[in-house]
Amino acid sequence: MKKRIAMLLAAAMVVSSMATAVSAEEAAGDVTLPREETLYFAGQQWGTVNSYNPIGTNQNNAMAIAGGPSGYRTIMFETLYMYNFMDGSMIGLLANDDYAWNDDMTALTFTIKDAAKWSDGTPVTGADVVRTFDIGVEIGNGTGTGSGPYIDSIVADGNTVTINAKVDDAGVPLNPLKLLDFLSGTPIAQAAWIDTVYDRCGGDATAILNDAGDDVVYSGPYGPYYDDDQKVVFIRNDEYWGQDASMWGKLPVPKYIAHTIYADNAAGEVALKAGEVDVCQQFIGNVQNLWLEEGLPISTYYEEAPYGVCLTMPTAWYNMNLPVLADNVALRKAIAMAVDYDSIIANAMTNQSPSFSDVPRSLMNPTDGEQALFDHDAVADLQWAGNDIEGANALLDEAGLVDTDGDGYREYNGEKISLNAVCPNGWSDWQASMELVAAAGDKIGVEITTLYPEYSIYQTVFVDPNQTEYAIFMWSPDAAGPSNPWNRVNQFMGLDYVGVANNWSGNWGQYKNEEADALIKKIPVTSDPEELKSLYTELTKIYLTEVPSFSLMYRPSVFHAVNESVWTNFPAGDDGRNIPPADCTDGYGIAALYDLELVG
Amino acid sequence: MKNTLRQVFHSSKFVGGFTIFVLILLTMIIYPLFNPGNPLQQIGVGTFAKPGTYVNLYDATKAPTETFRLEDAAEKRMANSLSEEDKVAMVEWFTAVEADISDLDTSDTDKMLEMWEQYYDPTVKPKGMIRAKINYYKRLDNALKELGSGDTVIIADKDETGALVETKKILDTDYVNTNAVANVKSLPLGTDNFGRDVLKELVSATGTSIRIGLIAGIVATLIGLTLGLLAGYVGGFLDDFIMFITNIFTVIPGFVLLILISYSLGQEQRGAAVVATVIGFTSWTWTCRSVRSQVISLRNRDHVNLSKLSGHSLFRIVLTDILPYIASYVVMAFILQVSSGILSEAQLSLLGLGPKTTEVPTLGLMMNWAMLYSAHTNGSWWAYFPVILTITLISFSLNLMNTGLDQVFNPTLRD
Repeated sequence: MKKRIAMLLAAAMVVSSMATAVSAEEAAGDVTLPREETLYFAGQQWGTVNSYNPIGTNQNNAMAIAGGPSGYRTIMFETLYMYNFMDGSMIGLLANDDYAWNDDMTALTFTIKDAAKWSDGTPVTGADVVRTFDIGVEIGNGTGTGSGPYIDSIVADGNTVTINAKVDDAGVPLNPLKLLDFLSGTPIAQAAWIDTVYDRCGGDATAILNDAGDDVVYSGPYGPYYDDDQKVVFIRNDEYWGQDASMWGKLPVPKYIAHTIYADNAAGEVALKAGEVDVCQQFIGNVQNLWLEEGLPISTYYEEAPYGVCLTMPTAWYNMNLPVLADNVALRKAIAMAVDYDSIIANAMTNQSPSFSDVPRSLMNPTDGEQALFDHDAVADLQWAGNDIEGANALLDEAGLVDTDGDGYREYNGEKISLNAVCPNGWSDWQASMELVAAAGDKIGVEITTLYPEYSIYQTVFVDPNQTEYAIFMWSPDAAGPSNPWNRVNQFMGLDYVGVANNWSGNWGQYKNEEADALIKKIPVTSDPEELKSLYTELTKIYLTEVPSFSLMYRPSVFHAVNESVWTNFPAGDDGRNIPPADCTDGYGIAALYDLELVG
Repeated sequence: MKNTLRQVFHSSKFVGGFTIFVLILLTMIIYPLFNPGNPLQQIGVGTFAKPGTYVNLYDATKAPTETFRLEDAAEKRMANSLSEEDKVAMVEWFTAVEADISDLDTSDTDKMLEMWEQYYDPTVKPKGMIRAKINYYKRLDNALKELGSGDTVIIADKDETGALVETKKILDTDYVNTNAVANVKSLPLGTDNFGRDVLKELVSATGTSIRIGLIAGIVATLIGLTLGLLAGYVGGFLDDFIMFITNIFTVIPGFVLLILISYSLGQEQRGAAVVATVIGFTSWTWTCRSVRSQVISLRNRDHVNLSKLSGHSLFRIVLTDILPYIASYVVMAFILQVSSGILSEAQLSLLGLGPKTTEVPTLGLMMNWAMLYSAHTNGSWWAYFPVILTITLISFSLNLMNTGLDQVFNPTLRD
């Protein structure tokens, strides 16, 4: 009897495994994309797509719905303006190029392009913008929580739209920069479609946020074609309004946009090398070897290091909940001075970052625009280039943090100073940086041990404003956008984020400084360039004196390596087109899709 | 005892394994004497420097020179900056810009260079040429310019006014003896992703890994032996109870258990010794089972019964009347435990669950970092292949020793 059951079980297993094999084959057979009409991506989409709902949350649909630090990804849903981080300009997409502020910067007016149409053929109107904002505030999606606190209302008269800022008691707008963020960072959804979703969800906010959006109406050049756990494919809408002369004047070149879902970075890199991927948004160590040594037809935005445009600076944050860090400015500065940044940049970034001797540290990213915003001479004495063991030791000795019991480690209040340096496991460039921070600690008599929890754990701890588990931990502040560098400065030292539960927004070390916060609050409402410069200089001084955190490297916000086996004419630094290396999809980076050519 | 040893050393397999293992141990002891210092010290600033001998360029320009007129020097120099592929690419460029190449001889380098100068223009973008190729021609042009820049390199220093003053000329026939250069660094296995000397790290890591294997082997063998002896000799309820525990541990895959324990310990607790102990605690079961079954067959032998009648204590009977009969088996099991302990550490570290990384190098950690930095895809074989080879050699030698011992002690295999 037992034998028979075992036989039956085995037979059942064989049958079921054959069935799954067959269905997998069928599924793969569904989408054979002509290589010459398909642009393949890597490094954006991880895991299966959840939804196509632009007003929802947790869509996990990186190619269609993603507000990147270098501009919104507009292949499917379009924003009013496209941000170009190369020059900070805003180029009209759904809206006409010029927007206008009123005199006291409390209202901003623009008009929607007459040609702009939804995928169902109806025109895009001001009412769609209004509805997109209103529903966001009502159900609390990204648009609602990001712009809601700063925008009082949006009103439309036909195609003319006015955004009214929230004002304080004195009638001064809270933050005009956030209005600009709305222009370039909010995907506009169709009012009629929003109403449909609203009705089928019975107005329930949670249901609307989680709606799958299979019937979604979009304005962008590509729509959904296919998705499963292996890949996601978008197909060009040949009726796309952007072929009107008032916008691009033509359709984007690739008919399909496809993103294979790779297991990890290494798999994506192998696919890029094999020519299976055209555009790769992944960090590739020693990327120059791909063409110098392996002779592959791969290139980056610039031919020479740093190969891309560095917009952000991954930063080690000191946890101010720990008294030893909160009480000792000298300790914070000493560790930051002792770290060997040149090694980090050469090792972790394989030189894909300018060094801190080339671009001395401040609150700014290394672009010319931001570097011009503060007085370099005024802060020169405060900056440090790293690997200054002697200076760090002297600083600690002077502060009275000395080794009294002879174990090789300094004490504070009679206790050995012992800290951990933390980042998520598997994030190799950050892990290497933490190793170097720990090595620096060893040289100045401060015990620093590295700790690499899984990301799923890390992301619950570092956003907790009361956590005391991580002493030195890594996260990146904002990269670029209309509201930067103000937003980044606010993330470094603003009080807005202190004590906020589930804090993904900024000031992860919970640093408190009233003086700095007052200065930060002034910036959005200041328009005089000289005054702005003095504010930023003052803030940089505070930051470099107080050292609430220290940046470890400069880093591109998106990586941009392209393989020209099939497609060519990708944007490059010296081609005079001013298209940013934003993965051919983000902000004004999407312009690249209209210029692509087939090889040969 | 002497006789046993003689027998053991007659087994060619054991001797082979033993020799390899001793050689590894000797390298571990002797190499650090010649190359002392911290094996985790980061000497290189970049990642993955290739294996080879590095001559300090700064010192080399100051070393005394000898003049040699070597016939093939110019040829080699040319070949180094202009490969055959480059020549093919040059012809492709000539074709792309529609130059006349009907009477071009690619072996005539001078003529090629002349034509290059005539036809190459960095601002021209031939139709259909991809950017990677255009960049390649730019680099080739720079390399060719260097080549054509004459046969001297001038070393200059800044004077007080900041102007450059020529201090030395280097001719293309100048040679320096490597012994005359103050700083020459030999890196037989290059550097890893942190810029550490791989050979030095490897030697130190082998030591740590063998220690981890030994600790794991000792812990596993001790637990397995003790429980096996007790269960087998005492029998009854104790036997049932011990076998109950053992069966539970056998059913749960050891490696899964290992992963779970390592994970829950947290990285801060995971020193090399702790990891070794954890490995030992999860791999004792089969030692226990085999020891038990052997003891069961021994416990009713006459000499054991005699001892019992003489009133000897349990401890003494087990130690003097039973253990010696299974000692050879225990030694063999121990050797295999050491070998699998080393492999377990490598597997764990590869998953990122190995010992803390800042303290000591281990073979597994070296592979973990090499993998994180995709050494296997970017061609940096020296960062992982020697490590794999070392692990293979260690476990090969231990297994060979085990097989040799087996042939000596196992009556069914004895020649």
